Amino acid sequence: MSTKKWLTIGIATMSVMALAACSNKSSDKSGAVKHITMSAKYSGPGKATTEGNNSTLKIAEVNDAPFTGIASGTLASNAEDSDVFSPGAPGGADELFNVTKDWKIVDGGLANQRINRKDKTVTITLRKNARWSNGDKVTAKDIEYPYEIIGNKDTTSQQYSSDFAAIKGMAAYHAGKAKTISGITYPDGQKGRSVVIHLTKVAPSMKYSRNSFIWGGVEPYEYYKGTPISKLASSKQVRKNPIFTGPYKLDKEVQGESTTWSPNKYYWGKKAQIKHITIQVVSMNNIVAALNSKKYDFVLGGIGSAQYPKIKKLKDYGLAGTPALSYSYFGFNVGHMDPKTGLNVMDKNSKMANKNLRRAMMYAVDIDAVAKKFGNGLSWRANTLIPPVFKDVYDSKAAGFPYNMKKAKSLLDKAGYKKHGKWRTDPNGKKLVIHLGAMSSSSSTEATYQYYLQQWHKAGLDVKMTGGKPMEMNSFYATLQKPKQNKMDVFLGAWQTSSEPTPTQLYGVDAPYNMGHFATKKNTELLNSLNSNKAWNAKYRVQQYKKWQEYMNSQAAVAPEQFSYSWSPVNKRVKGYDVSEQNNEFWSDMTLTAANPK
Amino acid sequence: MWKTILRRVLIMIPELIILSILVFLLAKAMPGDPFTGSINPKADPAQIHHLMEIHGLYDPWYQQYWNWVVHLFHGDLGMSYEYQEPVVTLIQQRGANTLWLALFTMVLTYVIGLPLGLYAAHHEGKLQDTLVRVYTYVTMSIPFFVVLVLGIWIFGYALNWFPTSGSVSATASGLGATTMSRLGHIILPGLLGALFGTVNIVQYLRSEVIDAKHSDYVRTARSKGVPMKDIYRHHIFRNSLLPIAAFAGYSITGLLGGSIFTEMVFSYPGMGLLFLNAINFRDYTVITALVLLYGFLNLMGTLLSDIVLSIVDPRVRIE
Repeated sequence: MSTKKWLTIGIATMSVMALAACSNKSSDKSGAVKHITMSAKYSGPGKATTEGNNSTLKIAEVNDAPFTGIASGTLASNAEDSDVFSPGAPGGADELFNVTKDWKIVDGGLANQRINRKDKTVTITLRKNARWSNGDKVTAKDIEYPYEIIGNKDTTSQQYSSDFAAIKGMAAYHAGKAKTISGITYPDGQKGRSVVIHLTKVAPSMKYSRNSFIWGGVEPYEYYKGTPISKLASSKQVRKNPIFTGPYKLDKEVQGESTTWSPNKYYWGKKAQIKHITIQVVSMNNIVAALNSKKYDFVLGGIGSAQYPKIKKLKDYGLAGTPALSYSYFGFNVGHMDPKTGLNVMDKNSKMANKNLRRAMMYAVDIDAVAKKFGNGLSWRANTLIPPVFKDVYDSKAAGFPYNMKKAKSLLDKAGYKKHGKWRTDPNGKKLVIHLGAMSSSSSTEATYQYYLQQWHKAGLDVKMTGGKPMEMNSFYATLQKPKQNKMDVFLGAWQTSSEPTPTQLYGVDAPYNMGHFATKKNTELLNSLNSNKAWNAKYRVQQYKKWQEYMNSQAAVAPEQFSYSWSPVNKRVKGYDVSEQNNEFWSDMTLTAANPK
Repeated sequence: MWKTILRRVLIMIPELIILSILVFLLAKAMPGDPFTGSINPKADPAQIHHLMEIHGLYDPWYQQYWNWVVHLFHGDLGMSYEYQEPVVTLIQQRGANTLWLALFTMVLTYVIGLPLGLYAAHHEGKLQDTLVRVYTYVTMSIPFFVVLVLGIWIFGYALNWFPTSGSVSATASGLGATTMSRLGHIILPGLLGALFGTVNIVQYLRSEVIDAKHSDYVRTARSKGVPMKDIYRHHIFRNSLLPIAAFAGYSITGLLGGSIFTEMVFSYPGMGLLFLNAINFRDYTVITALVLLYGFLNLMGTLLSDIVLSIVDPRVRIE
């Protein structure tokens, strides 16, 4: 998988996943689709040995391009960088906080968080023994500094979003009108242990890690001192000798190729047991051969499901994984964005405005079959727009769109899309040609595009690919991100989500990523309710999430395509490998039973 | 001759200016921008817009071009959007890797190709000649990426003789160990490149030598009783090297080009991958810098080839 940035990774994962499938069990006709399950944990046989723990844990970062090498989570914009520098961050989902299986922030991490709903403040307090890998104390200023980096006028970080404006004084700082963020204060001074963030609103999403208001990391202010924020990403402190708060410290980095680690004696948590770690970039084409010759213990960055059958056969590797924080989808173009207000507006007369047309298109394609054909049990038909990894709010009972050609045809007939000759016309009797936009990808993914076209043709719809063939990624998104476009009526995309599930930034009326421009009153109401005052009540929150999923399925303006597993082979010399969400000591838990991969 | 060289160098200046404008325009004409792929639920388009603005990506092209030229004369090729590093630093890092590998491959190619060509020509029409010719045909007709994949699979993974990824071992420390590790990393790709890249040299040299063998001056020399060894050394070999010498200029400047296939298969961070990724990510600063560099190297290559040719062949004079 190549590297580009976040999205590309998403796409790559998805394209593979778009081809991943349900092992052998087919779907039941309603509710969540069955698929293989994989344990998040793996422990090889035998006991850990000193010889093993004194050796090097060898990890492959599967990627076709060299990594960028930005060791700061605030500045990096791609997943490879966070992978190759991950031994420097404590395990689990977040650098600052420990989390539960639902990514709810709990005490016990580098810092604790308290939300005061009445005062609209969030207080973050560092643990007493919090230190950087160079021995320096982690200070309150280090919690605040990421906000300065993200909000700075000249920053190279891409992380700023409108939600940060809920922090008092952030808007002024972001505009360059203030030198500091007035809404972040230090009760016991900058060198103290806590900061108070004053907000204009508090939201239930703040209880979860990686929400859009509270940044989940720290940056070493003292260590960076003297380097302007605009130059940080290319500075020595970030690129050559970065420091960390996690269980390992960086010994060596070969630019773009590898990182080498040893235990960080200043780490506050469970001490690392393996003495050395190397993480090396390996191209997707070579990974199976590399594992076959036991060059690596496990992989980061994900392997596509296409490789799964071969890897499954490797005798010396076990498998572990969790459902991925991602999903692929069909988007329908139902409107435009008003450039003046920045709001999405639906066009009543747009080609895809009729929800029964959209639903019919969804029922006409057998995603279960696609998954079965190309995947290997690692991906399955998605039934909602919330990935199942969000166990609490995911609606496992939502039906989604199981294949039903009869229903598709009858929906079209009832909605007035009558057949005249080979193709159906729109209800006004006018010729109807629908354009499908999709990105160029692997041959198997592109085969699924052809399959979708073929199914729609069977239903009597004249669907063609935009431009006659899959589009290059940049062209695809450049087209979709225009305020108004009519080249793609339906498009195939994928999202990687944060560990906090609020979908407002993707589907809200003011969301620029709402690229199909679906915006109804009811949708806005439901989305708002997910983070309303009432939603502090867990039961209500769950109920609203389910209602929203149901509503989105009934409208089919954005329809789910596939969910997938994120997984890795693990060599049998590794013990204690555990990627479950609530494991906050991923790196320290591992031990080895032999000096080399067996 | 010096005058001519100077004139040619001077002509290169307008050529480079035109090239740079073309490249600049074409790069901007590609759909998307350096941030197109960055859309994720956490990257606000307003922030992307802001980044586009501070990088001057909304300015008219001539203004962007002018800014770029001004910086160029200060030795600053800009920052890579993708890598967040000065382009000069990036090219230095990747260029060094590529140069190592290419130089090693080139030397090996000549070391293998020259004797083979001579040997084949010497045994023209015999079994030895046929064997060499078959070898070159076979190596030419197998796509190089297949060779690479097979090579890494057999010698890297199955036999475990060579490292399979990167340009240097993650654990090598100290100058000696690092150098050895670097060398270890280029042996396999270099050897494969050389063994499968000799066809031009062998075939050119072979046919030139055979041509020369049958030419009048060789016959005269032989009839005068000059030993065959001397004829080869003084007459045939020198004349036969002409087409290869004409190549040399390009080969030398081509050293920095990098090989996308090799770099891809061996996860070797060189110029080829840098260029490919820069195009995929719309990393404008890197694209323009690299195309300009390649353009410059090509022009230099032509010049160098002409100069080399005039040295090897006294009949050729640059006037």
